[in-house]
Formats: sequence, C-alpha cells, structure tokens
Amino acid sequence: MFAAQLALNALALGSAYALVAIGFVLVLNATTAVNFAHGESVVAGGFAAVAIAGLLPAGIPGIVLLPGVLVVTALLGLIIAGVAYLPIRSRPPVSVFVTTIAFGIIVTNGLNAVFGAAPRTAPALVGSGAVEFLGVTVSLQSLAIIATAALLIGALAFVLQRTQLGRQFRACSQDPEMARALGIRLVRITLLGFALGTAFAGAAGLLLAHQFFVSPSDGGILILKAYIAVVIGGWGSLRGASVGALLIAVFEVGVASVSSQPVAEAMLYIAVLLVLFVRPEGVFGEPQRVRA
Amino acid sequence: MTGMHLGRDRVTLIAGGVALAVYATLFASSYDQRILTLSGVYVIMVLGYQFIFGHSGALSLAQGAFFGVGAYVTGIVGSQFGTGFLITFPLSIALATLLAAIVAAPVLRLASHYFALATLALNQLLLVIAVNWESVTGGANGIPGVPPVILFDWQVGRGLPLLVFVWALAAAAMLIAHWQLRPSRVSSFTVMRETPLAAPAFGIEPGLLRFRAFLFSAAFGGAAGALFVHTNRVVSPETLGFGIMVTCLTMTVVGGRFRIAGAVIGALLLTHLPEWFRGLDEYYLVAVGFLLLAMVVFAPNGLAPLFLRAGEPSRLSKTIAGDIEPPAKSTAGLVIEGLSKRYGGVRALDGASLQVEPGEIVGLIGPNGAGKTTLANLVTGIERGDAGHVERASANLSVLSATAIARSGIARTFQTSQLPDELTVRQVVSTAAVNLGSTAPADKVVNGALALCKLSDDADTHCGTLPHGVRRRVEIARAIAGDPGVLVLDEPAAGLADEEQRQVADICRALAHAGTAILLIDHNLEFLRTSVTRLACMDAGRIIMEGPFDTVLADPAVRAAYFGMADQ
Repeated sequence: MFAAQLALNALALGSAYALVAIGFVLVLNATTAVNFAHGESVVAGGFAAVAIAGLLPAGIPGIVLLPGVLVVTALLGLIIAGVAYLPIRSRPPVSVFVTTIAFGIIVTNGLNAVFGAAPRTAPALVGSGAVEFLGVTVSLQSLAIIATAALLIGALAFVLQRTQLGRQFRACSQDPEMARALGIRLVRITLLGFALGTAFAGAAGLLLAHQFFVSPSDGGILILKAYIAVVIGGWGSLRGASVGALLIAVFEVGVASVSSQPVAEAMLYIAVLLVLFVRPEGVFGEPQRVRA
Repeated sequence: MTGMHLGRDRVTLIAGGVALAVYATLFASSYDQRILTLSGVYVIMVLGYQFIFGHSGALSLAQGAFFGVGAYVTGIVGSQFGTGFLITFPLSIALATLLAAIVAAPVLRLASHYFALATLALNQLLLVIAVNWESVTGGANGIPGVPPVILFDWQVGRGLPLLVFVWALAAAAMLIAHWQLRPSRVSSFTVMRETPLAAPAFGIEPGLLRFRAFLFSAAFGGAAGALFVHTNRVVSPETLGFGIMVTCLTMTVVGGRFRIAGAVIGALLLTHLPEWFRGLDEYYLVAVGFLLLAMVVFAPNGLAPLFLRAGEPSRLSKTIAGDIEPPAKSTAGLVIEGLSKRYGGVRALDGASLQVEPGEIVGLIGPNGAGKTTLANLVTGIERGDAGHVERASANLSVLSATAIARSGIARTFQTSQLPDELTVRQVVSTAAVNLGSTAPADKVVNGALALCKLSDDADTHCGTLPHGVRRRVEIARAIAGDPGVLVLDEPAAGLADEEQRQVADICRALAHAGTAILLIDHNLEFLRTSVTRLACMDAGRIIMEGPFDTVLADPAVRAAYFGMADQ
C-alpha cells in the first residue's frame, strides 16, 4: 500500500516536472537556445497563481486559475524572447545564457520585492482531502496534478502533430535553414516556442505551488531538474524529457522515503555528474557528427 | 597607433591607481574601507573567472563553488584548529583547485550549455552539503569567529591594514594573470573559442588549454573566498549562494571579460553601486539584472575598452623579410592504407588507399559524398577511422590526436574557412607557428608564410573583414606556419576568381618544389590541371583510379562516376 502511494506521489511530482522539462525543450527546439530563466518562469507561474487567487473569493479551486496563469506566463515568455533572445540571436550561445540568467535575476528579485522571500502556497487544484481507491488512500491533489498535466501534454501533442502551425514548429526544430527556405517565418516560431514553453513552466508552477510551496529563489533548482530530465531523455526530445522528468521524481521520492530530502537532492546532483561523465550526449541521446 | 594608445593607457591606469590609493587612505571612512576591501576580494575572483568565462568562452557557474570551498576551508580550519593564514590560505587555494581538477574530467569536455548546467549542479551540491552537514559547517548559520589574518606575529588589523593587504594580493593576482595571458596565449584562446574545429590545426590542444583555465579560475576563486571570510570573520552558506556567482558574472560582464583592468573596474563598480543606489531598496537587485542584460546586448566587451584604447598588442616584429623560399624540410610522404569509416548505415570510406610523395601534388576529385572530406578528416585526426591506417616516415598516425598529428607536420585547410574574426592575419599565422612549435624563429616563419601567400599587405587586417579569396590564402599561410611536410588542402580554390586560383596554384607549386607532399581536393579541373603532378578519383569511399591527369579523366569509370557519363 505504502509503495503504491509513493508511486502515485512520484507520478504526480513527475507530471509537474514533465511540464517544466517539456517547456524547456519547446524553447530549445524553436531556437536551439538554452533558456536559463526557465526555472524562474516556473516560480513566476506559482506567484501568478498566488496573486490571481488573492483577487478571487477565498476557497476557489486552483484549476480555475490555470487559464490566467497560462496567459500571464505566455506573455512573460514573449518578453524573454523579445528582450533576452531576439536582440542577440546571432551571437555565440553563451550570450543568450547570460541574458536569460539576467532575466531570471530580474524575475527572482522582482518577486522578492513584491511578495517577500517567504514561501507562499497556491490553492489546491480541486480541493484537499483524499479518496479511497482499491484500498489505497490517494490525495485528490496528486490525481488533479496528473490529470492537468496529461491534459496539457495531450493538447500540445495535438497542436504539434495535427495543426499547420505545429508542423511548421517541428520543421523549424529539425532544420531551421530549410524551414526558412520554405517560407516559414522563424521569428514567429521563436515567439511561439517561448510563449508555449514558458506557459508550460507556469502551469507547472501552479501545480507545484500548493503542496511544495513557492518562493522567489526556487528557480535555480527547478532549471537544474528540467535540465537533468532533458539530459536523461536526450537533448531536444519531448518524449525523452517527459520520461526523464518521471525518472527524477521516482528517484527523489524513492531516496527521500528511505533517507531525507537533502540526501535525495545531493544524490541527484552526483548522479547527473556521473551520467555526464559516462555519456556526455545523454542517456538516450545520439552522438553528433562533426563536419569539418 | 598602438604604441600611442599603450602610452595613454599606462597614464590612465596609473592615474586610476593613484586616485584609488588617495581615496582609500585619506578620504574613505572605515565603512568605505570595508567596501574597498571587498572590491579587492572580488577583483581576485573576477580575474580567475575571466580565464574560464572570458578567454575559454565557457559559462562556468562553479566560480561561486570554488569561492565557497576557499571560504569554508579557511573558516573551518581557522576557527576549529586555530591554524594561521600561512597554512589556511594555501590550503583554501589548493582544495578549490583540487576540486576543479576532479570535476574537470566529467564536466570540462561538455558542450557549452551542458558545461554551464553541470557546473551549476556542482555548486548546488556543495550548497546542500554546507547547509545540511551541521556538525562540520555549522549549517544554515555557518561558523562565526573566523580569525583575522595573522602573518607570523603580525596581525593584519581591520580597516586600512586589511585593505592594503587584500589589494596587495589582488595586485599579485593581476601579475599572475598578466604572465599567464601573454599575447600568443590570448590568441590561442581566441582560436579555441571562435573556431574550435580548427584548433588542432593550429597546434592547439583545446582540452589542455581549457583545463588550465579552469584550474586558474578555481585557484583565484578559492583565494578570494578565503579573503572574504577573513574580512567578514564568519563563514556561512551565503558564500556558496547563487548571489555571489551572479555578482561575479555581472562584474565580469560589466568590466569586461578579457582585460585585467576590466576585473578592477567591474569589482569596484558593483561593490559601490548599492551605496550609490540606496533609494532603490529591495529593487536594487532587479536593477542589477537589467544592467547585466543591457551590457550583454549593448556593450558585450564591457566598460574596459572605454577607458583603455589599445587592442591586444602584437609583439612580433612588423618587418617583412624578403625571403619567400620555404625552407627545406624532412622528406617523408604520406601513406594512406585501407581507410574505412561508417556513419550508421553509410560507408563514407570503404578501404581507401593513396600515397603522396614529397614534392608531389596529388589532386583528388570525386562526386559529392564520395568521401573526400572524410578522408581529409581521418588523415588529420579530426575523426577516427574504423579500419586501416595513415603512416608517415613509418610512424602510425592513426593513434595520435588531431593536435599531435598537426604538430608532427601534417597541416590542412578547411572546406569552409575556419578563421577567428577577431584576430589579424599576422596573429593567426603566428599563433599557429608558436603552437605548432616550428623549429625556425617564429618571426621568420610567419613573415615567410605571409610573403609566400602574398599576404604581406593584409598582415594587420582582422580576418573578419577579409574577402573570401584572401581568407583562402590566410588558411594556407596558417597551415604552412608550422613548416609541415604534408599539406592537405580541402577545396582551396572553391569560389575563387581566375586570378586568385592562379595565386593558389603558384603557392602550391612553390611548396611542392621545396619538398612538401600536397593532397589537393578540388572540383575545378582547370585549377587542378595547372597544379597537380598526379590525379586520383574517389567514388563511394574508394580510390577508383589514379595516374596522370589526362589518363584519369579519360577513364570510363571516372567519367561515369564524376561526370555522370555512361560508357558508350
């Protein structure tokens, strides 16, 4: 029974992490840029939920906040693209690393100034409490997280696979030169990638902010987890990122259940350094060919 | 020009230093002196960070980790065992450097973003340990009561004495950086950063260069961390926090990534800004974020160039010697035996064999995808073959690194020219000459190569502004700067006008006349006809025909493969 509950907790945490990792890969695929402000985007989503909930009557279920959080963080994504990526997109990638780090500093300290450094919590998605299912006590929040994440990922898959815009997006991530030659406007795809990717991060912020709280300085740890998921899943793979996120959650919940949260976190970082040592291209990634 | 700027820069630097000293001793309050002392600490940290972030071009997020290691080593050892500065300071530096050496293996060979995030993971790991290992680190509160700096019997007091002491160490750090970053080393870093693929062809070992830079960054970071806790008299997880890393990054970007003066400007500015912008309160750090963002977008080289005019001075003599005869060299040709290479299901090379004798120019033609560039990559060690070997003077080259192959006297040019925009033609050629370890004096080799490739007039032009045709010749000059016995040219005449093609052909003949063995890959048959002594044709990863120019072109198999003509 205990194991089943742990598995469900891990699945819920993993679903939220998967949204973060997928958002990271969406930006990566649209631009090949690594967005170091992505962790702060998750935090911004959490605080957007806190702020919007404050405007609504108390006791409102968190799921109602989702559209608002998505809109706010999608706009944030557009701002990141416009300020930290588009002006310097032809420079070496390190420049974009630094501008997005700078953007993250602005978000972190802006939130800190407005909301204070203390952790805040967002409303539960559908309500607290638990249901009894086949003899296992299951928290409603965990189920709601899994359902919401599944819904968002399903919607994304539909857009990418079935719509013209989604096909253009995939074309750009596979071969931007060819996509441009076919008349696809890259700037539009870039903006789409940042808006979608950051909105996914924001949604994850809403999902995480009830049970795990949210504080302005959480961004660094969240981007690391997204990155670790992407490294495990293979750079640029959406499916891989989701699998990687689930593995991280299983690892965290599993190790924490037999020791403690700090030990789980430390082990995770050691594990990722070891993984990079053995397979620098990621667990499922393919080595790239040099062309001289 | 440069000389005048150097003179002016010296005046600027001396004036700045004197003004700072006068302010520190006569006008600064004890609080101001504390801020200045912290500036000195950050100068050391930033100088180290310039090695890895500036010169290596790799975004390390572990500079705060090394700073924290230095801080905790001095904090713990100093407060728990009462050990003096003369032991704790070297120990802080040593352990930070050791940590860098240990993690270098997993992280240093990673591509840019992997490196950045792996170093962030390292920093987070140390932070988790520092916060949770309470019995040793004091947990979230840290350890108070870190002793002051005590040298033998002299205790360096707070205020001015500590300020002078820290800035003396900062000056020492500047001297070390200056000594490490001599012009040829700076150029090597530029090549590695801008054209990593070509670094081995310059004789540069990118792994080694980056490793040294990483160790220096760690050593300087550890030293700064140790001095930081001597200044604050307490060590806490703050020293490992992202805040200090961000401060260091911002100082480096604001001051400038490359110049020693940039470290001083950045550190002084960022430690004093909070004082000047007190009114911003908690929004101050938001403003720092905007500053960092704006600097990268609008002034990527930082503030240092505003104060200092001179670029990187070229210390090699400017005179162009008259002799354009390449020196005679050891005569040994190139032997390629049964080379094979697969990419997944594609056989790029399928048992290719070819010999090039000294003084011979062998042309290599073949349809696109025949394996010509793959052959060049395998010969020069950029890629490893699956079977077969490459020999020269009965030494097996297949086991050597690309850099070792280049140093052994096998030079190449690239199909798409690989030249760093920021370097001048002379710097490119002399960087190759120095790193390839040519036996003749570097000046003479450089001037000879420039003259032979008719580049003497363009010697001080930056490569980024050169037209395509000239860049081709710079590539060749760079390749022959190491005085190679074998030269592999990958489509040197592609996209050149007739006159430019003739110049390249002349260069090839002059080199072959002096004994160089040349493998010349190209599609331009007119160019090849005037250049080569022998022609070989490749198709589907094999040499299908070789011999005199006209014989090869008349061969039915060659005509079928290369011109797409069926046998009549």
